[in-house]
Amino acid sequence: MSSAAERQHAGPPQPSSLQTPVLQRELDATHTWQGPGGAKPSQITRWMSKRGVIAIRSFVIFIALWWLLALWVNRPVQLPSPLRVAIALGGLIAAGEVSENALISVSRLGISLVIAAVLAIPLGFLMGLRREAEAIIDPVVELLRPISGIAWIPLALFIFGVGDILPLFILVYVAFFQILLNTIAGVRNVDQRLIAAARTMGVGRWAVLRYVIIPAALPTVMVGIRLAFAAAWAAIIAAELIGAPSGLGFAIEWYRELLMSPKVFAFLVVIGIVGYFADLALRALQRWLTPWAQGTELA
Amino acid sequence: MIRPAPESRWTPVINAVLLPAVLVIAWQIWAVTLPADTRAPAPVGVVAAFFHLAGSGGLFSATLQSLGRVLLGFAFAVVFGVGLGLLMGSSRSVKDNLDPIIESFRPIAPMAVLPIAILLLGTGTPAALSIVAYAAFFPLLINTVHGVSRVDRKLVQAAMTMGVPRPRILATVILPAALPSIMLGARVAMGVAWTAIIAAELAVGAKSGGGTSGGIGQMMFVFYAYSIDLNGIVVCMIVIGVVALLIDRFFRATERWLMPWRY
Amino acid sequence: MATTNRAPKLKLSNVSKEFTAPGTGQRTVAVADVSLEIQSGEFICVVGPSGCGKSTVLNMVAGLAEPSSGTIEKDGVPITGPGADRGVMFQDYALFPWLNVRDNIGFGLRHGTPGKELSRSTREERVGHYIELVGLAGSENKYPHQLSGGMRQRVALARLLANGPDILLLDEPLGALDAQTRLILQVELLRIWGETAPAEQRKTAIFITHDIEETVFLADRVVVMSTHPGRVKAVLPVDLPRPREETIRAEPRFGHLAEEIWGLIRDEAYRAIA
Repeated sequence: MSSAAERQHAGPPQPSSLQTPVLQRELDATHTWQGPGGAKPSQITRWMSKRGVIAIRSFVIFIALWWLLALWVNRPVQLPSPLRVAIALGGLIAAGEVSENALISVSRLGISLVIAAVLAIPLGFLMGLRREAEAIIDPVVELLRPISGIAWIPLALFIFGVGDILPLFILVYVAFFQILLNTIAGVRNVDQRLIAAARTMGVGRWAVLRYVIIPAALPTVMVGIRLAFAAAWAAIIAAELIGAPSGLGFAIEWYRELLMSPKVFAFLVVIGIVGYFADLALRALQRWLTPWAQGTELA
Repeated sequence: MIRPAPESRWTPVINAVLLPAVLVIAWQIWAVTLPADTRAPAPVGVVAAFFHLAGSGGLFSATLQSLGRVLLGFAFAVVFGVGLGLLMGSSRSVKDNLDPIIESFRPIAPMAVLPIAILLLGTGTPAALSIVAYAAFFPLLINTVHGVSRVDRKLVQAAMTMGVPRPRILATVILPAALPSIMLGARVAMGVAWTAIIAAELAVGAKSGGGTSGGIGQMMFVFYAYSIDLNGIVVCMIVIGVVALLIDRFFRATERWLMPWRY
Repeated sequence: MATTNRAPKLKLSNVSKEFTAPGTGQRTVAVADVSLEIQSGEFICVVGPSGCGKSTVLNMVAGLAEPSSGTIEKDGVPITGPGADRGVMFQDYALFPWLNVRDNIGFGLRHGTPGKELSRSTREERVGHYIELVGLAGSENKYPHQLSGGMRQRVALARLLANGPDILLLDEPLGALDAQTRLILQVELLRIWGETAPAEQRKTAIFITHDIEETVFLADRVVVMSTHPGRVKAVLPVDLPRPREETIRAEPRFGHLAEEIWGLIRDEAYRAIA
């Protein structure tokens, strides 16, 4: 007999092998399984499969594992328990250290994004609209771009010293290229038929720029700003860690040198939370500025 | 990008060289006007420093050391990022359960993990490696998940109706179908990893008083903190840029070689 | 063997298929109570308005979907999953974009026979044979994206046949082609299916389409399905002689059959676009 008889239908999920789920899902999509006996999932199983509940469950398991590991390692300086970290975090919040340093880092980030946008967007429009400008400026951009912002830190330290200017300089540098390249791409990719259509309606040059090119390019520019934020967020910690007397990157390294591990971990948590909410805020800004471009997502 | 036909075949070359040349000359002129005992870098000094550093072999070995760390850390990231990505991309429940944890680590910049890596692993190569692996992990993971979850169902079905056993479908259908995404992730990850190693070496140098880290990042820091050789720093920056460019080109070439069906 | 001609090759008994919408849990009946017996070597066309569940029936025979109730038997054995004995040709061909023509055709031979792998030379010989058969010689090293629609369709057909299934399941395989290519490939499909060979050597084929003339040209029997829920409305034998030539389209009997089928579908087709 053919081997068909040996091949089993994929039954209910079998977590035994890595591959089963792919095909399981594949089959699920083709036809919905009723489950054994076609029983309806109970209230409890349904509640357990809600996204929020899954997330909380995952966190609980993660923290439990961390705790067990901390107990097992039993070296609080290297790996403090979640409880100690939570206590440290509470203390830092109460002392105002969290809000102070987070505020400093976030305002540095905000200021540098604004500066980078002010510099990069007009230049991007110029380079996107005029070939001659692009031909002349692009080589410099392409020469500088591979040099990461981090690599500027020693030279910048020498020029600006440890202080507020250094992180700003690094962040503006990092954010600049992301915004510039996306602005150029956005301007380039404006549908030529839209411009032609506006022109045939007798719209003037400036009006075409204002009412056609800018709105059409804006979604891509916004993507550039979000990419710039992501790059700047990665760079700010490095910049503050090495060359600033304040901010989240400074704080985390400060407590590392003092070997106050719970506070180091507490600031790590803060960095994660601040980064998460900053991205959320930028997404909201993106939706508000370019409501017509839903789905222009980052890859 | 299609440029308008140039007036002469030299026009693009002239355009490309014009502004960089003007800037370099202006920089040199500015440096010459400074007092003789200046430490400010100048193009002529940078070229001299390059030959000096390259001649002694120090630049080459430092670059190699950094690159070696990046490759090793990247290899770890590939194993974990692609492995976990395949798992999460294939299974809804694995993805639902791990997503919250992954998403909460994602906004934590690699450099923020460095202090903890130093606490746990000291200031040597293991700490640097873990930073690189951490940095490269996320682009690899996210792009793998994305690639796997977008595999055309019909292709999997087709393989099933040809009698291909389930475990084999992963290797013969899902992996090649997700490969473009995975390779994109690898290219991004390698760029991020290269930046991360520089940052890690710099920071270890900066924070552990010289340290034992080595590598081109450390070399830069030594130029800054001890010998105050700004020309040397600029040489290091240029090398970092060139390596970044070569890494990018190498990955693009690999993509063309691995995936001829897309070109 | 003589006895296998009597027993049906494929037997669908009271097959139904329900889908449950995720989230709302609302159930829709896609296929209701379909019973059908198909003899070995028969060419069956399934026709019906969109949404009549014809593709679902095909998927269930392929083993890609499981009936909610009822059974499907092949040679008296219930179907429990996909297998190489039932080859599927998908509407958009589902060619592997990363494999060239030769490797696409040889995919099932290479990966689909665990435990009894063919030797490399046997595989290459078989692939070569089917490349010749569908007229793709000279394009062996091309990737799917370099091929025209008609050529992709040939690759899919060659891939289907190279695996040596005894049942061919064709899900609107000519649907994406332009009208002329379609007519040419209909003739070719019949040739490759084995129209000129004795009936017992032919493969069993189930061909899904919504083109009425196509069904009349190709089929031994036409299964007409209706929507909401998908049911078998009628089964019509096509009593046109084989091998069928292009000229058969001009014969009165051809027109009568097409008219009859259209009569069965017309009301629903009008309702569907109203």
